[in-house]
Amino acid sequence: MTTAEIPFKIDIPDSKLSLLKQKLALTTFPDELEDAGREYGAPLADIQRLVARWRDGYDWRKHEAELNAELPQFMKDIEVEGFGTLAIHYVHKKSEVEDAIPLLFVHGWPGNFLEVRKILPLLTAASPDHPSFHVVAISMPGYGFSDGPTKKGFRFPQYAEVANKLMLALGYDQYVTQGGDLGFFVTRKIANMYGGKHSKAWHTNFPRLPNSSPPKLFSRPLAYLTHILTPYTEAEKAGLARTDWFEKLGRGYFMEQSTQPQTLGYGLTDSPAGLLAWIYEKLVNWSDDYLWDDDEVLTWVSTYWFSRAGPAASLRIYYEMVQGNERGHEDTSIPLGFSYFPKELFNVPKRWHKASNLVFESEHTAGGHFAAHEKPELLVNDLRAMFGKGGPAFGIVPGKAGYR
Amino acid sequence: MVSTENPFKINVPDEKLELLKKKLELTTFSDELEGAGREYGVPLTDIRRLTARWRDGYEWRKHEALLNAELPQFTRDIEVDGFGTLNVHYVHKKSEVVDAIPLLFVHGWPGSFIEVRHILPLLTEASSDHPSFHVVALGLPGFGFSEAPTKKGFEIRQYAELANKLMLSLGYNEYVTQGGDWGYAITKLMAVNYGQKHSKAWHTNYPIATAPTLKDRPLAYLINLVSKLTPEEKAGLERTAWFFGLGHGYSAEQSTQPQTLGYALTDSPVGLLAWIYEKLVNWTDNYPWDDDEVLTWISIYWFSRAGPAASLRIYFEANKAKPNMFLTPLPSKIPAGHSYFPKEIFKFPKRWSNTPNLVFESDHDSGGHFAAHEKPGELVGDLRKMFGKGGPAFGVVPGKTGYA
Repeated sequence: MTTAEIPFKIDIPDSKLSLLKQKLALTTFPDELEDAGREYGAPLADIQRLVARWRDGYDWRKHEAELNAELPQFMKDIEVEGFGTLAIHYVHKKSEVEDAIPLLFVHGWPGNFLEVRKILPLLTAASPDHPSFHVVAISMPGYGFSDGPTKKGFRFPQYAEVANKLMLALGYDQYVTQGGDLGFFVTRKIANMYGGKHSKAWHTNFPRLPNSSPPKLFSRPLAYLTHILTPYTEAEKAGLARTDWFEKLGRGYFMEQSTQPQTLGYGLTDSPAGLLAWIYEKLVNWSDDYLWDDDEVLTWVSTYWFSRAGPAASLRIYYEMVQGNERGHEDTSIPLGFSYFPKELFNVPKRWHKASNLVFESEHTAGGHFAAHEKPELLVNDLRAMFGKGGPAFGIVPGKAGYR
Repeated sequence: MVSTENPFKINVPDEKLELLKKKLELTTFSDELEGAGREYGVPLTDIRRLTARWRDGYEWRKHEALLNAELPQFTRDIEVDGFGTLNVHYVHKKSEVVDAIPLLFVHGWPGSFIEVRHILPLLTEASSDHPSFHVVALGLPGFGFSEAPTKKGFEIRQYAELANKLMLSLGYNEYVTQGGDWGYAITKLMAVNYGQKHSKAWHTNYPIATAPTLKDRPLAYLINLVSKLTPEEKAGLERTAWFFGLGHGYSAEQSTQPQTLGYALTDSPVGLLAWIYEKLVNWTDNYPWDDDEVLTWISIYWFSRAGPAASLRIYFEANKAKPNMFLTPLPSKIPAGHSYFPKEIFKFPKRWSNTPNLVFESDHDSGGHFAAHEKPGELVGDLRKMFGKGGPAFGVVPGKTGYA
């Protein structure tokens, strides 16, 4: 079952770098309304500054080398039923601790494998005080340096199949998962399809359950009464306001990507400034006042620009998931953990979440959607608490408790 | 009140043509899923073909000359309360018939003044058998060769104010209007704000209605309850469901983050082409678009005075000022007329209509959203019936019945 690993180093051809530069040099910018701020979208001053930096000053080769140095990467061919073979790119780092817990990390959009960068050393670190993990961070098909599917209908079961097969191919017959954004849906699918047999527990920083809406009188009378009698805390009010903002003003990208991704894809493939703005808006709006460094943003966006399948491929998961009607609730029975970050896009009072397999909850007072990137220590501490000695999912992977 | 007109000829500078060509030559195309058809958005073959033509073969100067020859154009400074002066581009053609009916034609998105092209000669033509019109086709601020507002908050009320002021400045103290898409919303508000005093009747090919409720329209509600849907009505509702389900992504993004979207549409000709072309195809009734016809339409956006990003803001401003304003009937007192085309994107059973003073309705068995462009004869035929001798709005502009 275990197959040999094929090391991979990112090495973007010079021709791609020079085409990017040519395009950046020709960038035409729109105007902007006076005092628009962030109200209408990504601010012009930011995009102009970032484009200027990307064109002159940003050194892709330097960042490429750093990524290759920090993230041990590999490629593996994975066969997907009905879709042929896809070349899958992934990060794989084993802890020194032999019985470390195998953990699959699944990114979302507009994320990618880079999101494992800060948590990787923390997860694999050895200590008697906390468990260690062997980490696999997959680039989902259509993202990073993985192939994109070429046929219609590649949905969550297929993403789950790819991820599970990858873990098995690496010798991890049993593992746990961590995911947010689309990674939440994929790891939930993994838990649903392979839970118990292969996936032994799942943790997410994008908490959602079927009851993640106000309890109704007839379905949950006690919860309903608690709901109407208990005043919301300030934090809960802020969370609901955040959720409301996202619903009313933040979902345009979702509506287009889930209905006409090909149409949108042309502009994002042809215009680096267009792609930059499309992604940068999320990096800012979805994080919790995270202090993005310009080169940090450009590295993130460059991995989309230089991605193997192109940026348009990354959008199709939205179409497949919505048109395939896949976002609804799915039962999982394996232990589940939630980390709550206040600036997550969907943030409802914790007491609305009820599931018999919800064994771990941790609430934070700072952090947003890109938890692994914004708050790596907090996220890893949560995983250590969930899976470590005394934790609710300790020893969930037999023989791999995470300690020497 | 009447001041001289400033003639305008479209004359895009050479360097804009050269930049377009350079960008087209550097176009990077996305891939496409096998068998995607139009399901995921604009097909790749169409985009490749149109881009190749735009790059080599399409002659902007030829089409620019044709537009200048066919459409007498002008510019005029119009002051809008709180927004200063905007330089507005418009088409103005008087009929030979001195007492022709002054008619204001208002386009929408992704349209422009070009939409008056096919109906202009028909509207102005003199005949004893039908009324004639003096036609003003306004280029909305932010579209075509009109200046765009620079401040936030320029919403439907401002467009209506500007349109009314334009007509008054041309000596048309009383006039009628024709509009679809945003033109519907703008002329609807004009009917309320300037109705009777200036706007004497309004006609739309984009009639909006909502299902009657027991509370607001009990009789219509009851009738609706017992009426069976005709096959045409069913098809219309399915079309509307398609639009809201699969065709609404552009509107969600434009209404919430227009600036973000604007970068790609401004920087990538192929991105802009795809974004608009999708609507030209999906919203029409099998209209046989000629490639050069498409490219001229889109070139107007590409070469527009304010750039393509400015044209998106009407969605944001209208949504912010009054979400659902399209759906809200307004208390207008002037005669109204509806033309129903089967492939319009909103289609409701006629009995749901709650337009006040609806004196004219006309059904067609073909045609879509861009009625003036697709079905000029039919649209003008409707206006002639509505305003001509024996019609329900005959003589609505005193002294200007439309006949010699």
